[in-house]
Amino acid sequence: MTHSTVAPGWEWWVVWYFFLGGLAAGLYFIAALIELVGSERDREMAQVSYYLAFPLALVCGVLLILDLGRPERFWHMLIQSETGRLMFKYWSPISVGAWTLTVFGGLAFLSFIGVLAEHGRAGLGRFRGLVRTLHSGPVGVGFSLLCAGVGFFVASYTGVLLTASNQPFWSDTRLIGGLFLASAAATSTALMLLLRLLWAAPASLVRLQRVNSWALGLELLLLVSFLLSLGALATPLLQSSHGMMLIVVTGLLGLVLPLMLRLVRGPSTWVTVLSCLLVLLGGFEMRYSILMVAQHLVVAGR
Amino acid sequence: MAQAMGFFTDTTVCIGCKACQVACHQWNGLPAELAQQPTATTPGKALPITGNSYDNTGSFSDVNWRHVKFIEKSAHPDRSDLAWLMMSDVCKHCVNAPCLEVCPTGAILRTEFDSVYIQQSACNGCRACVSACPFGVIHMGGTENAGQGTAKKCTLCYDRLQNGLQPACAAACPTASIQFGLIEDLKARAQKRVVALKAAGQTQAWLYGADERILGGLNAFYLLVDEPETYGLPRNPQLPSRSVRASSLVSIGSAILMGLAALVSFRRRGEEHD
Repeated sequence: MTHSTVAPGWEWWVVWYFFLGGLAAGLYFIAALIELVGSERDREMAQVSYYLAFPLALVCGVLLILDLGRPERFWHMLIQSETGRLMFKYWSPISVGAWTLTVFGGLAFLSFIGVLAEHGRAGLGRFRGLVRTLHSGPVGVGFSLLCAGVGFFVASYTGVLLTASNQPFWSDTRLIGGLFLASAAATSTALMLLLRLLWAAPASLVRLQRVNSWALGLELLLLVSFLLSLGALATPLLQSSHGMMLIVVTGLLGLVLPLMLRLVRGPSTWVTVLSCLLVLLGGFEMRYSILMVAQHLVVAGR
Repeated sequence: MAQAMGFFTDTTVCIGCKACQVACHQWNGLPAELAQQPTATTPGKALPITGNSYDNTGSFSDVNWRHVKFIEKSAHPDRSDLAWLMMSDVCKHCVNAPCLEVCPTGAILRTEFDSVYIQQSACNGCRACVSACPFGVIHMGGTENAGQGTAKKCTLCYDRLQNGLQPACAAACPTASIQFGLIEDLKARAQKRVVALKAAGQTQAWLYGADERILGGLNAFYLLVDEPETYGLPRNPQLPSRSVRASSLVSIGSAILMGLAALVSFRRRGEEHD
């Protein structure tokens, strides 16, 4: 019998986009939040994040273009090919996402250039004063709020995009956007913690670990809620290899174990390294499983 | 705009001849395709027969814009009471079309005949429409003849309609199972047919998609004599946008919680000496 729906074939390019996009967005909104509420000591961590967010955003753009059936027509997402007018549908998550990703790329570029100027690199040192002015006062607060908002959006819209479909699993829950956002926060702070250890960046370790633990807790709560929200579909999910990986790799290894290690062993270097690597692995696996299970698992209605 | 036009498919008179499939292939220049029945070990592998009754195409595809289903019904293990339900399936040209709703390039548009049409020159192959279609109609073009990398489905023979002709499948159907015309006329005709069938003892006859309950109405609606699931049709298909508000609110809630976590964690200046 013909199945009711057909899988869109969003596979490895999209898995990597979801993961790296989450990292880029997470790095960006955490950096923007540090700018808003953090101390001067923490700013260096934000600057490292800005250095990473823009290249990651570029990679994300390339991944998305490569995934298109007609990559040379990527600009059709933004401009109507027949009329030359702007193409925007506020009710379509993929359309809003394409625009927000473009804005995100622009903001990440500005932040990237700003950090280069602050560090006097690439001949941009003469703009250091301008950058500092832009980072202070109401203008700085407004800019950071904008950056945080756009970062939050990029981190979560991919999940909303999946739910706005008629695919099994994706369209049966409303929690994937929130789950992706929490995972973006968890994986990006994990990466920041690892970099802090590698580059001996300054003093944000404890505060960063605290945010990371909050993100892990939220992600764990949303993951459990996600499984519960699937109702009868949770059974075939949990019986599949994708479901097993979601529980073991993301749930147990990527969320529960890092939290337990921190509680039991304290914030030692090896605990930090191991837990951060597990969080990154779990974040990647979560996106892989959620993307693939809807497209490869045969259930009623598919 | 011209009045809405479309199909009324009376499945009770379909004989499974597949003339509609052939006519669709012929008019639209679509190549023949062997059945594709992906399995877990051989996804996408082409097999010469489907093993599914007399169905030799298996499903919609980039080159099969019509698909005649052969549904075998039997209540007994020995299949001594075997009966066939046949149905020529096609794009429903929904009044509230999920594919049109999500398409980010504007490639999917509504024509003056109220049909849903994919403009091939504008489609960039993002596949949001594939994900959104609750009927599994849209497929990506994978062969050169069909046009590579863009979304494919029934056009309601837009070129024929513009020249005063009816779609090729309806013209070819020898039993008038596929009827083409003004939607309002077709609905009236379909209601009469249901009444006649019920009077003749076929009490399960009903119309799928003739009223607004399914996606605002289907411009290709069906007379069925069983549950929609029996025909591989969703009972209550929905628009993708139904979930956007709730999903967005969950995302906003998560963002607020993470913002608060950052506020609590980073604003405690000078407490740690790391």
